Amino acid sequence: MSPRERSGLALMAPAAGVLVFLFLIPTLILLVFSFWLSKSFVLIPAFTGENYMRALQSSGFIAVMLNSLKIGLITATVSVILSYPMAVFIVFKTRTNLFMYLVLASWFTSYLVRIYGWRMILGSNGLINSSLLAAGLIDQPLDFLLYNAVAVVVAMTHVYIPITLLMLVSALRDVSPDYIAAAKDLGAGPMQTFLGVTLPMINRGLISSFMFTCILAAGDYITPQLLGGRTGTTVGLLISNQFRQSGNWPFGASMAFISFVVFVALYFAVVVGFRVARLAPYRRYH
Amino acid sequence: MLRAYAVLYIAVLYVPILFIVLFSFHSSAALTFPFEGLSLRWYREALADPALLDAFLNSVKVGLLTTLITTVIGSMAALAFARIGGRLKKIFGFLSFAPIALPGLFIGISLLTLFSQLGMQRSLWTVTLSHVVITLPFFIESCRSRLEFFDLSIEEAARDLGARPFTVFRLVTLPILAPTLIGAAILSFAISFDEVIITVFVSGNQSTLPLYIWSMMRLSVTPLINATSVIAIASVILLVLAMSMILGLRRARARQQRHSRNTAHV
Repeated sequence: MSPRERSGLALMAPAAGVLVFLFLIPTLILLVFSFWLSKSFVLIPAFTGENYMRALQSSGFIAVMLNSLKIGLITATVSVILSYPMAVFIVFKTRTNLFMYLVLASWFTSYLVRIYGWRMILGSNGLINSSLLAAGLIDQPLDFLLYNAVAVVVAMTHVYIPITLLMLVSALRDVSPDYIAAAKDLGAGPMQTFLGVTLPMINRGLISSFMFTCILAAGDYITPQLLGGRTGTTVGLLISNQFRQSGNWPFGASMAFISFVVFVALYFAVVVGFRVARLAPYRRYH
Repeated sequence: MLRAYAVLYIAVLYVPILFIVLFSFHSSAALTFPFEGLSLRWYREALADPALLDAFLNSVKVGLLTTLITTVIGSMAALAFARIGGRLKKIFGFLSFAPIALPGLFIGISLLTLFSQLGMQRSLWTVTLSHVVITLPFFIESCRSRLEFFDLSIEEAARDLGARPFTVFRLVTLPILAPTLIGAAILSFAISFDEVIITVFVSGNQSTLPLYIWSMMRLSVTPLINATSVIAIASVILLVLAMSMILGLRRARARQQRHSRNTAHV
């Protein structure tokens, strides 16, 4: 081993130690826990698939799982569609970093505060309802604005869209404007240029941006708790409840690992989907 | 056309925040239009609660300690990327990215099980350790691309001229990388100061500012929450500005000192 590598190893050691001790080992403990049992708040070491069976046989868990997939996918789709033109603008159409800074700054205005903002806007005494009532457009407050999946999607899109945008921007920065100009010169329309030139070049970044947003949304338990109501429940909320209220940790752990597997599978499904639809090349060509 | 869209995009990002700020100054308890008048009563009420100051100070303590730990070991790790290669680099790259690819909830519950298995009492210490788990990957990721292409031959030149390893670091490596590291340190502080998803699981009796706000939100919806939220946002902005000024000032001073020392030698 060269001295350079040896010094690299020494420099890496503290961070690697922290990540192993505070990330890898806890994840393994959680995995082990998912095979244990909990009887009246006491953990019983065991090796049983009971928790997994219980979760997979529970229609409630399956329903919430599907619901969070739906919420995650819709949030991610909306975030990517809304952010793509913005990313194009930031990368190709403007020289100032002002827009990027403004988006980043909004990301750092408290997560909780932004969720609370939506409760204020959508609530039955909220800004939308009170304005509509005052304008005489409705007689009764619209109840469907808050405590459902739509409110959760709206708030989550708002909360996570800066990350979606950030990842799209970094993907688009790899695309040389020359390619796009060349496509245009050869007579391709905007859609053809996007599908044939840009998308194959950014497909990895696009998928990461989409999946990152989707996973953040499905794992969020605070937005569903504050805005979700019955139809806005996510797996995140279900899992967090096991670790806070009813206290069946092994059961909660098994649900966490089931969700993990589901989202890894979803990731691969999206990657394969892109290839089958011929929107992603089998290898990078730039 | 696209510019108009960009302006709209930014506007929508900020609208909820502007409403919160506006109604934090509302003279009545209603969070609805028509706006009845301006008043500072909710700020007075928010600041009258000693628990708010406690939570704020706890967040500052946790944030500073998290930033210190993250900056020291994160800078070392980021420097390591220019020196290692092959499989080791891949493994370490994965390890230092995985915590931010997973939802905070997952990190929170796994740390909770770790602390309970170790019999650790939950406190601000466990909160700090937990924050490092996510600030460290963000720190490394935000420095990595710049540090990976750091020209190691500059360091070699300094060593060939007889500089000892620490001197090389202090006089050559650090000045070149300082702006990147300072930016990443401030990012770490902002993340820690705002963290709530993981903190819920690993905190003890002492509350942090986001936890304090969350407990208020679960009880009611009043302009008191707006005022507290605005205080939280304002404090993060002020603290970030203060940090960049203090750190930037030091940098300028260091450069100045070095400069004067060099000229003294000549």
